[in-house]
Amino acid sequence: MFRLHLRNELWKLFGKKRTYIGFGAFLAAQTLMLLAFKFTRWQSDFERMLSGNGYLASEFISALTVSVVMLIPQILLLMPLYASLVGGDLVAKEYEDGTLRMILSRPISRVRLLFVKWIAGIIFAAALVIVLGVTALGFASLLFPWKGMFVFVPGQAFSVLSAGDGFARFVLAHVFLAVNASTILSIAFMFSCFNMKPAAATIVALSYLFVNIVMEAIPFFDRFDNWFITHHFRCWLLVFQNPVPWARILQSEVILVAICATAFVIGSTSFQVRDIKS
Amino acid sequence: MIALANVTKNFGSRRAVDDLTLTVPRGEIFGLLGHNGAGKSTAIGMMLGQVWPTSGAVKVCGHDVTTQRTRALEKVGAIFEAPAFYDYLSGWRNLEILSHYTAPTPKERIREVVDWVGLTGREKSKVKTYSHGMRARLALAQALLPRPDLLILDEPGSGLDPEGIAEMRQTIVRLHRELGLTILLSSHLLGEVEQLCSRIAVLNQGRKVFEGSLEETKRRNQWVRLRVNDFPLAAKVLTEARLISNQRDGHHVALVEGVDTDAVVRKLVEQGVGVFEVVREAETLESFYLSLMNQNRAEKK
Repeated sequence: MFRLHLRNELWKLFGKKRTYIGFGAFLAAQTLMLLAFKFTRWQSDFERMLSGNGYLASEFISALTVSVVMLIPQILLLMPLYASLVGGDLVAKEYEDGTLRMILSRPISRVRLLFVKWIAGIIFAAALVIVLGVTALGFASLLFPWKGMFVFVPGQAFSVLSAGDGFARFVLAHVFLAVNASTILSIAFMFSCFNMKPAAATIVALSYLFVNIVMEAIPFFDRFDNWFITHHFRCWLLVFQNPVPWARILQSEVILVAICATAFVIGSTSFQVRDIKS
Repeated sequence: MIALANVTKNFGSRRAVDDLTLTVPRGEIFGLLGHNGAGKSTAIGMMLGQVWPTSGAVKVCGHDVTTQRTRALEKVGAIFEAPAFYDYLSGWRNLEILSHYTAPTPKERIREVVDWVGLTGREKSKVKTYSHGMRARLALAQALLPRPDLLILDEPGSGLDPEGIAEMRQTIVRLHRELGLTILLSSHLLGEVEQLCSRIAVLNQGRKVFEGSLEETKRRNQWVRLRVNDFPLAAKVLTEARLISNQRDGHHVALVEGVDTDAVVRKLVEQGVGVFEVVREAETLESFYLSLMNQNRAEKK
């Protein structure tokens, strides 16, 4: 039955056009960024930075390097937006449309219903990240060669890796990015379980994220950085460090998974006691 | 089939349902009547475990809905006033999705129900292309898929044209006759309820003001059309003589049980009231309902 219920949710989720907005936006953004990197000063600036650090730029301006360059702004801006958009819709939109009342006249427990919805949401989040990674690498491979990888994010990562090692870490980074997307989706899902409109659930979830970003940027809160979700979101960049700080990554991942579970528990508890009326 | 015992539901400080006790026996077509906001939908919501009662017990098919919701709803189908579907999916896909929340449903069963409701040929079209009538049929199909014993219909005729209402009436009769379903019908269409239901309950401001068979509603008030030269005086005389229990619209009086029209005429003539016409009228559900509401309003004053 669980498989059937999950299939139901996936049919509903992937049957909607708005589910694909995120995928479409990623494709459009990647195409623009790729063209900008290739045909503006962006590439030459990047080459200068590599040369300035003693590396042969021609060896590291590769598909892998450009993929990561393209990923960063999308991870910061687009991914939270689309993950929270879908997460905010999961329950609240069904309530708003009246289909939730149709479902809840069936012998399915509310917790089970929410659980399959949440799992479907997480599958969406993972799919979003996979598409993001595959298309970034695919598009970059069209214009750049398959060579070594260079990753530079001020204050976060500075690494020069072979193509094989770089690809393995690129894949691993996407596993952690999927956890990030799932966390944002879970937070939006939690708000979606409350008595609020789908747009409100999305906005509140994004607001929570922005509050984290802003507070984390205030020097006073430096010593409390473990309390900010955005601090843990950045652990995907740590896989590019040498050596990889596994303990720090594991800590962040455990915290993010715990946030997902907490969001589900709070959301489902709130939903369980709600009256569903027309 | 449905048993509500002293059920109360508060939404904040507003009491939507007040100490409601109701029994829907197996095999009946049971009508639930009441004005907008009388508490019908809230009562139905509690029967389906969508609204939690503040106090009291709700049992469906012998199981407590609050504690054994999934068991209670195994053999229940429901249709709401404005049936909502996933418009971007086909009718068939909607049926698959909704029926799977009850149990895995074979394709043959879906085909059989689609055929029963007359949607064959359009089941693979997207629901957004369906007419209002087709949506109503799809709603019926989803309710019938789990082979229910009990069907709960919350304002099913709302928004339908006269043809659609007649079709709905025939369908309900078919469901009762061919499938032997117990049906709870909440409706504003008193004529439909009168034609379909064997028992009714009337809610007013959350309280049950009547429960009984349709026969009882007809026996309860014996309405007589009275054409006299002074109706207010006639009504006063007859009320004082305890010959009538109610009056309405300046033309009708309700006789007290056991009183016949000869006694009314005799009394009016004795008191010098000119009597031109006295006609006994069959009580309709509408007149019964209106007099019940008037009576309640008067009692509240």
